[in-house]
Amino acid sequence: MNIELTDVTRTFGRNKAVDGVSLAVGPGVFGLLGPNGAGKTSLLRMLATVLPPSSGTVRLLGRDPARPAARTEIRRGLGYLPQNLGYYPAFTVAEFVEYFALLKEMPAGQVPRAVAAAIERVDLGPKAKSRLRTLSGGMLRRVGIAQAIVNEPELLLFDEPTAGLDPEQRVGFRALIRDLGRQATVVVSTHLVEDVGAACSEVGLMAEGKVVFRGAPDELIAQGAGSELGDSALERGYSAVLAASRKRVAA
Amino acid sequence: MTAVALAARTARFRPARALRLEIKHSPVVWALPVLAALFYFNAYRTAAGFPPVWSVRASVISGANLVFFSVIGAGIAAWTAAREGRRKTGDLLATTARAPWARRSTVLAATTFWVLLAYLAGVAVIYVQTASEATWGGPPLWPVAVGVAGIAAACALGFAGGALFPSRFTAPIVAVAVFVAWFVGIAAANGVQNAANGMKGTPALLVAATGRPQDPALGVFYRVAPDVSIAQVMVMGGVLLAAVGLLARWPSPGMPVRRRLTVTAAILVAAGVAAAAAAFSLTGTARNFFPAGWEIPAVHDAADNQPVPYTPDCAVGAFTVCIHPAFAPYLGAMAAALRPAAAEIAGLPGAPVRAEMNSGVAPRAVAGTTSVYAYSTEQEGVGGESFWATPATAGTTAWEQGAQQDFITWFVSGPAEQDSPGPTPAEEAVAIALLARIGAPVPQYPQFSQPSTSSGGSSASSTAGGSATSGASGAQSGAQSAATAAQITAAATRVGSLSSAARHAWLAASIAGLRSGAITLAQLP
Repeated sequence: MNIELTDVTRTFGRNKAVDGVSLAVGPGVFGLLGPNGAGKTSLLRMLATVLPPSSGTVRLLGRDPARPAARTEIRRGLGYLPQNLGYYPAFTVAEFVEYFALLKEMPAGQVPRAVAAAIERVDLGPKAKSRLRTLSGGMLRRVGIAQAIVNEPELLLFDEPTAGLDPEQRVGFRALIRDLGRQATVVVSTHLVEDVGAACSEVGLMAEGKVVFRGAPDELIAQGAGSELGDSALERGYSAVLAASRKRVAA
Repeated sequence: MTAVALAARTARFRPARALRLEIKHSPVVWALPVLAALFYFNAYRTAAGFPPVWSVRASVISGANLVFFSVIGAGIAAWTAAREGRRKTGDLLATTARAPWARRSTVLAATTFWVLLAYLAGVAVIYVQTASEATWGGPPLWPVAVGVAGIAAACALGFAGGALFPSRFTAPIVAVAVFVAWFVGIAAANGVQNAANGMKGTPALLVAATGRPQDPALGVFYRVAPDVSIAQVMVMGGVLLAAVGLLARWPSPGMPVRRRLTVTAAILVAAGVAAAAAAFSLTGTARNFFPAGWEIPAVHDAADNQPVPYTPDCAVGAFTVCIHPAFAPYLGAMAAALRPAAAEIAGLPGAPVRAEMNSGVAPRAVAGTTSVYAYSTEQEGVGGESFWATPATAGTTAWEQGAQQDFITWFVSGPAEQDSPGPTPAEEAVAIALLARIGAPVPQYPQFSQPSTSSGGSSASSTAGGSATSGASGAQSGAQSAATAAQITAAATRVGSLSSAARHAWLAASIAGLRSGAITLAQLP
């Protein structure tokens, strides 16, 4: 298992963003769904080794990220696309991706080829020498994806990866993560349930800091049988699970 | 092969490529025109206005040039340090394998690289210009070392400030703070720079002063001891180490750091503080020994106390004028100034037959009974600026008249002791008359330029074998102050109206009495 969480909690002051999550995820594409404030980003940041858990244990790629040496090893095999991608406007696409390849401590000799490959995979080849300040929001998102995959990571974490992408690019991205998911563990946090349905082999649904559902997309669809809230079967399943969760909390 | 397995086998960060990227995108590039303007107006023009003496011009390098480059460098370093917060790349960068301290060190190195490059380019400009004008010696390297250490320390300090307090206001606050710190330090340092001979040093010496050196002959007759520069490099190196130590301990947000890193950071900070404390302590033991400058016993090399041997450049003639080769460009002007004055007193008892430059403290021994006018760069001339003038300015009438005033006053009054009350009114009147004969204006004696207490005499202090003795005495000061400028001028007019032969004869008979103060204004012919 590339991700092993045991009773992980993360609090910010009195607010419990992640509440006793236990999860084991192997290779494949794992979709993380949930409403705003459900704790998806906090969970993702813990998986990205940015944030330590307040309690519980986290093991990533078989290592304990609390140990500095192990954390470095995990990060060498990690790709992360945050919800809000920060970037340096004066860098070109190639320079930005190369910068992250270097910071991920890729073998120096492999960097140029890996950078070119990552840029090609997100269809930004013609824009490789463009400065980031000249790119559209969708292109910047693809730059973010390119830096995340440049080191061919074993653990890939995408936070709202398709935000800002046009429909054609989203289709392309889904194909890309399906491809990546054959060897690596890909966690995709998103609001867009159609992304999950198209690309994920497994889905987790978070609400109030807890994972309230985990299963295949078909199982989530099945949860929505009889529900009328939502335009698609997945949305109906999503809404039904959330509604049930809220009822449990209220009770 | 998986990324982790591959990385574990072969991955090693290549900082050169990351550094190249940071150098390419450093904001210092945008500040280069500002740095160039500051260099031109504050350093280049100042240095160009100094005499072409290596140590004198190099004083600008660790003075004004260092101040402005370090202010800009610290501000930009603080700006770049706050980049991750400003650009919201913190989370993304925190997931990379490279340690934060190493990543940020690359950014700091790129910033420092550009500021240092610009600074060293300025040093090169000053040194190339000095090389084209200087006639003796070579470029001193200690001021450059002080400047490099100062800029590196300022950049590291600014970067640490920007990293620890990331805000859009940090950069201007850091720049202003460094600017104020420099000028507070400089104010203190200037007081110490003008310290009396033998005075004890203070930590203010650690500030590289922006003021010009005490003497235009700095590093000419005696080497400039590097003692204070060593202490300055120590304190700036200490600041650099401590700032780098702080950056090293700068952790990932919320994540535990390696103990080894914490220990290393603590060692760096401790070493930096120790170096700075040692420098403070050392400067407390310094002593000012003119003209070699400040000595710190613990690091002082006694060889620096020995005069630097040289062969003077001379303009040989009826009145030979010699000068230190460092001031060779002034020789023609000095000879042109002194020869008419020397001709006016030729043949009188104690009249010199040659002029020689010395350090102002230890006149060179001159064998025989020949009288020698020994002058130094400390001689006052017009407004006390004789050898602070550039060679181009030295040929002007005002400059030459200044040299003549010093020469005639010295002859009439005899070699003045330090702190002597100055010439008597009678001596002043005779000097004015003689100067009028060669077309020089009235010297700035006390009566003519209150409240100045300038004696008008040079530091020329010896006539080997000459008959002159110290003329002015404390007993004369009452009479001197009683005489008005009008009385002196009237007496000078009387002496000046004598024929050359009569004046010469009177001076030959009366110069000893004039110098001893026995002759009063009323007794002048």
